[in-house]
Amino acid sequence: MTDIRGRLHIEPGANGTWMLSGSIDETSQLGELLSRARNGRLVLDLDGVQFINSLGVRDWIRLQTEAIKQQLAIDLIRVSEPIIHQLNMIIATRGNSHVASFYAPYACDACGCEESLLIDADAHAASLAQLVPPAQTCPECAAQMAFNDFPERYFSFLVPDSSRLG
Amino acid sequence: MAILIVHPDRKTQRTVQRILGVTGYRIEVADDLEQGIRLLQHISPRLVVVDVSALSSPSAAAFFAAVRARRDEACMMLLGANTLDQIPHILELGAITNLLVHPMPVLAEALTITAHKLVRNDLFGAEKYLLWGTQLHEVDVTRSMQRPKIVADLAEAVRARGQSARVASMAMLVADELISNAVHNAPCDADGNHYRSEVARDTDLELDAQHQVRLRWGCDARYFAIEVNDHFGSLDRGTILRALAKQDVRESGGGAGMGVALSYRSCDHLVFNLAPGKRTEIVALIDVRYSPSERIPASSFNVFVERST
Repeated sequence: MTDIRGRLHIEPGANGTWMLSGSIDETSQLGELLSRARNGRLVLDLDGVQFINSLGVRDWIRLQTEAIKQQLAIDLIRVSEPIIHQLNMIIATRGNSHVASFYAPYACDACGCEESLLIDADAHAASLAQLVPPAQTCPECAAQMAFNDFPERYFSFLVPDSSRLG
Repeated sequence: MAILIVHPDRKTQRTVQRILGVTGYRIEVADDLEQGIRLLQHISPRLVVVDVSALSSPSAAAFFAAVRARRDEACMMLLGANTLDQIPHILELGAITNLLVHPMPVLAEALTITAHKLVRNDLFGAEKYLLWGTQLHEVDVTRSMQRPKIVADLAEAVRARGQSARVASMAMLVADELISNAVHNAPCDADGNHYRSEVARDTDLELDAQHQVRLRWGCDARYFAIEVNDHFGSLDRGTILRALAKQDVRESGGGAGMGVALSYRSCDHLVFNLAPGKRTEIVALIDVRYSPSERIPASSFNVFVERST
């Protein structure tokens, strides 16, 4: 838990993915990630990023803007909830990136368990477009869990916006 | 002294009148803005309470100009769940210093606290929003680079007290932004220069007594409260209202005041207590009673300015 606000770490993952963990903040210098793109594509795994502040948001937007200039595609996988909140709150953070999978809040009515569960955005694209969250099973009691936010708010980052960069 | 209520609905008038009547102030009631403008010519209310329906009145501009002209008084707007889309417009007006978005009974609590703070000119302390007996923990920030550790410790304490990862995440963001602003934006010299605002946020600064920032936090099982204090009192009402109204935060994430704007969007109620030239205190309240799907997707705010005695 104490690393949740630690400095950003970047490590290579499988299939050319770059795994980010820690905080995106004033120390992050995300711009250097662009040099790690392969074949015009940068794949970022954001599972380990549990904090981003306003200075981190600015750096993230600079990364997105520069990627568009350089015609690089950015794929985001396993995007954590704090990052999803920023994608929903600030349109410019989305750039032209593609979110392939992301975490979303679920709650179990039966046992009260609350979990952040992974959603495959590509596999569930049709239902997500209808703002219907995929069904999830409670990891503690195996009951059906309920989506624990307003779908129209939480999934708004998936909706194309005319004011997006590029 | 008086409180002016402008609301078209007689039942709501009576409800608000009953709540605010406990202050002992005379309560004046107007059915519409035209009547409100006439009353403003004869009374000097400490607080003006307006329903959101006022925004569509042809007299709105004249009314809010009259309110703005009385710089010492507070103007509060009440918002129903079906009118939340009006918030950007309300913020752009620059005349509303208090916005309460919650329904009863939370509205009654917030209204009462707001009125008492204004009437008594006793603004400071997160205790006013928490139940009796709630323990507030405090940390003094003595070096700027303590911020990440303090924020991480706060998140750990939130989780250790059984709160959700969502609450911990919101608390972290709010505390980080408010401490950062208090360390870098609050310091101000006699000429009004904010001499640390351009210093890189990852520079390690030793903070003397004047520059130290105090973080206090506590939870009463209704709210998780985060309070951040500085000793400069350089934040003013106009700057706050402009930051809250920032639309380019939504569009581009740009510009000054982004920390305040993000903090507002990351909590349920943001309270600014200002003693100009002496002290600024910001209290963020995160409602821990409701799951995200049960919460109102909007936040209240108050901007209080201490009256010189």
